[in-house]
Amino acid sequence: MKTSLAGKTPTLLLSLLAVFLVVVMPSLNAAGAVSDFTLNTWGKYLCYAILAIAVDMLWGYTGLLCLGQALFFSLGGYMLGMHLMLMIGPDPVYKSALPDFMDFMGRKELPGFWEPFQSFPFAALMIFCAPGVLAGIFGYLAFRSRIKGVYFSILTQALTYGAALMFFRNELYMGGNNGFTDFRTILGADLRNPETKRFLYIASAVTLTLVFLGCRWLTNSRFGLIQRAIRDSENRVLFSGYSAANFKLFIFVISAMIAGIGGALYVPQVGIINPSEMMTEKSLEAVVWVAVGGRGTLFGPILGAIGVNYLKSWATTEFPDYWLIILGATFVLVVLFMPKGIVGIPGQIRELIASRQSRKRAAEEELLATSAAKTK
Amino acid sequence: MRRSTMTPASPKRTDGISRKIGRLLICLGILLGQGFAQEAAPKGAREIVAEAAATTDTDKQKELVESLGNAEPEQVTLWLGKWKEGEIYLYQDAAGTDVAVTLDGEADADEKHALKALATEKPVTAEDGSAVRMTKDELYLADTDSSLRRVMKGVTDRLALASPDVKKRLQAVQDTGLEQDPAKLPLLEQRVAVEQNGRIKDALAEAVAMIKLRSPELPVREGAVKELGDMGSIASQSAIKTVRGEAEAAGQVGLVGACDKALRDIENHISRVNTMGTLFRGLSLGSVLLVVAIGLAITFGLMGVINMAHGELIVVGAYTTYLIQNLFAGGIHMSPFGLKIDIPGMNLSGGSWDLYFLVAIPASFLTAAGVGLLLERGIIRFLYKRPLESLLATWGVSMVIQQLFRLVFGANNVQVESPSFLSGNWTVNDIVFGWNRLFVIGFAVLIIFMTWAVLTKTSLGLLIRAVMQNRSMAACMGVKTEKVNMMTFAFGSGLAGLAGAFLSQIGNVGPNLGQNYIVDSFMTVVVGGVGNIMGTVISALGIGMADQSLQQILGDPVTGKILVLGAIILFLQWKPSGIFATRSRSLD
Repeated sequence: MKTSLAGKTPTLLLSLLAVFLVVVMPSLNAAGAVSDFTLNTWGKYLCYAILAIAVDMLWGYTGLLCLGQALFFSLGGYMLGMHLMLMIGPDPVYKSALPDFMDFMGRKELPGFWEPFQSFPFAALMIFCAPGVLAGIFGYLAFRSRIKGVYFSILTQALTYGAALMFFRNELYMGGNNGFTDFRTILGADLRNPETKRFLYIASAVTLTLVFLGCRWLTNSRFGLIQRAIRDSENRVLFSGYSAANFKLFIFVISAMIAGIGGALYVPQVGIINPSEMMTEKSLEAVVWVAVGGRGTLFGPILGAIGVNYLKSWATTEFPDYWLIILGATFVLVVLFMPKGIVGIPGQIRELIASRQSRKRAAEEELLATSAAKTK
Repeated sequence: MRRSTMTPASPKRTDGISRKIGRLLICLGILLGQGFAQEAAPKGAREIVAEAAATTDTDKQKELVESLGNAEPEQVTLWLGKWKEGEIYLYQDAAGTDVAVTLDGEADADEKHALKALATEKPVTAEDGSAVRMTKDELYLADTDSSLRRVMKGVTDRLALASPDVKKRLQAVQDTGLEQDPAKLPLLEQRVAVEQNGRIKDALAEAVAMIKLRSPELPVREGAVKELGDMGSIASQSAIKTVRGEAEAAGQVGLVGACDKALRDIENHISRVNTMGTLFRGLSLGSVLLVVAIGLAITFGLMGVINMAHGELIVVGAYTTYLIQNLFAGGIHMSPFGLKIDIPGMNLSGGSWDLYFLVAIPASFLTAAGVGLLLERGIIRFLYKRPLESLLATWGVSMVIQQLFRLVFGANNVQVESPSFLSGNWTVNDIVFGWNRLFVIGFAVLIIFMTWAVLTKTSLGLLIRAVMQNRSMAACMGVKTEKVNMMTFAFGSGLAGLAGAFLSQIGNVGPNLGQNYIVDSFMTVVVGGVGNIMGTVISALGIGMADQSLQQILGDPVTGKILVLGAIILFLQWKPSGIFATRSRSLD
């Protein structure tokens, strides 16, 4: 499964792209050439790209299609959201430092599990830990009983569904239906300030670059080799004496953590997180970004996440009634005609040319043979 | 029914030809009499009430009210009710006699009302022929005293207890029991002798026993308590508690013991009823899951295709039912397209409209099967070797179909009404069996039977099983696997359509209907063991039962649902490939 833009993509090109995203875009924004809105939208896309890489590490490289990645993404978001909620400060209506929804429910003091989120380092730690621990427990149960393929997908779907149902409940003290919103400050900086937004964008771009590099290192290592071996034939890996379950568990936890970081960067930029973000549909969307971009590559998911979301933004404004049809049809067409996604197109074209040439050559040879037979 | 006092007198007997005419006249008279009687009968109650209200002699009043016991029950209740509520007034006419009147129409600016004579239902006019208008204060209220009201109550109770409508009669018996009025005992005992309906007989026994709880004699009370305990009478629970309190205060040890035992018996009865109710609800929920999942058990279980658009196929069935319903009623009107389909003479209502559902069932099956066929030919057949990608492609399809529904039918839910034979319920021994729930169970049994028959008794079923077990071997034996795939997928999709027709009867129909069931149905199929119809049946019923019991125990549907999902994940630890695993020696 080697495509032109996979692993071997010219490092120079990727570095240029990284420099563009990390340095050029924010500089242009500071200079006023790129609007704050555009930069903010791109910041969102980059968070989605981080999520897409997480999905691809599981699906593209290990063959595990997880329909619960949005759960880990929003869990990371919720963890930072809890901290941000506590940083809002006293509410002018209720005159209490508690988040609005708790005042609304008539609670007088912070629930115990909220207390540590007053500290940013703790919240930052939880961004990794909460999705990681959940993935660890679920993965342990799933991989130990050798649940795989379609069954794994459906179980993760059920996990996400159950979690979303739980977060919809007000009794969980996580904002219920409305989730968290109305954030004011992060680390003392005003979130509505363009400079803070630019900083968040840069943080997303840098994180994406780091995640990309980290995953590239991992997939190119011996570990990555086993990962792909599990994808292609898990039984052979088992027979060779490797504990596939442990490898799968490890990659599952890593990927949940990556998704969590993406979510944590996403929430302050979008300003809201609620349980509808963790529904199965969101996970499926992320899977589709990967499929569109090209799975089994690290560049593909980024391309897919940005491309599909760009298409979505464009279609929702241009054709509000038809955008779902456009998107749905795109997915169908991509799956049917571009099994390797966008990054696979050059390879597909090359194959097409090659097969046509070989057919041509075969025809010529046949012609030669028949003419030779005639002359005889 | 009471014959009116206006029945014409029989003509006198005469001889010869006049005798024949006489007979003719008799016949005519009878016919006329019946005509009159039917028209006049309801007047009877009103007239008697009018007469009674205008009388000042209380004994005469009571006598008149008693005589109402033979009149049309509904009229009696209506007019006695008006009398009691003070809606009947007395108007003194020019001759100085009191006439019972009711106020006619709204009050005018001077708070004056037009009057209507109660006996004749004609407007009251003054001597010059103009309508009389008066304020309420200018009229006397036809009042009632407590002894008269008791007589009235006796009459209405008696009428209610003899009501020809079984439901009303039952209600009257139960109400009388709850009143615990010793004066009603003879009335009830009278009914016990003539009552034919078994359920009402039981209710009468319960009511009699409840009244006996108020008896001054200790042995009678004790006997009544014991009887109620044996009956497991839920209605008498609080009455027995009262009796127990009194007995304790009076130091009647035997009666306290009897009460305790009776209360225990009733508690047991209640918990039995609750358990049965939970089981029944669990069974019906399981049947819903089963109906929804059975199509998936074929497309996903047998064929291995993850069809995320399965939910939308369900919605196709539901909307088909909606369209058929409209076609039977007033025709199909779709404003966004200016589409209007009317079948002349189809403006049905009532019993004949109910039949729409019988047409909707096969129609939903065929429509969904058709959509499934297109889906299989257009997309899925290219993806048999790539199940995870079939998931993505069909998800795209599901988005497209959902949006199409929104464009065609609007984003809001549409109204599908259940035929009358699906509403109502059936109560056995305090356990309520709703007809629609019973219908679900029957429907599920029927679908399972059909599916089983198709898979095992038809040649298509044989081919399906052959292809699903070993595709390439079946192909070598000359089975057209392409065609079998097509038919299997269409069959599974058709079953989804049936589920839609059926869900339209128990909930709202909207573009997102299918999404609510898709996770549940996938779980059901996985837990049952993929590729095993029997496993799907067991897991659907099991999940339905677990869900209902947890709801009953926790009193919270959401927590129950989360726990069920958790339990499923844990269950798969124990049996990773579901209840019935398909045995296979093949490795990848």
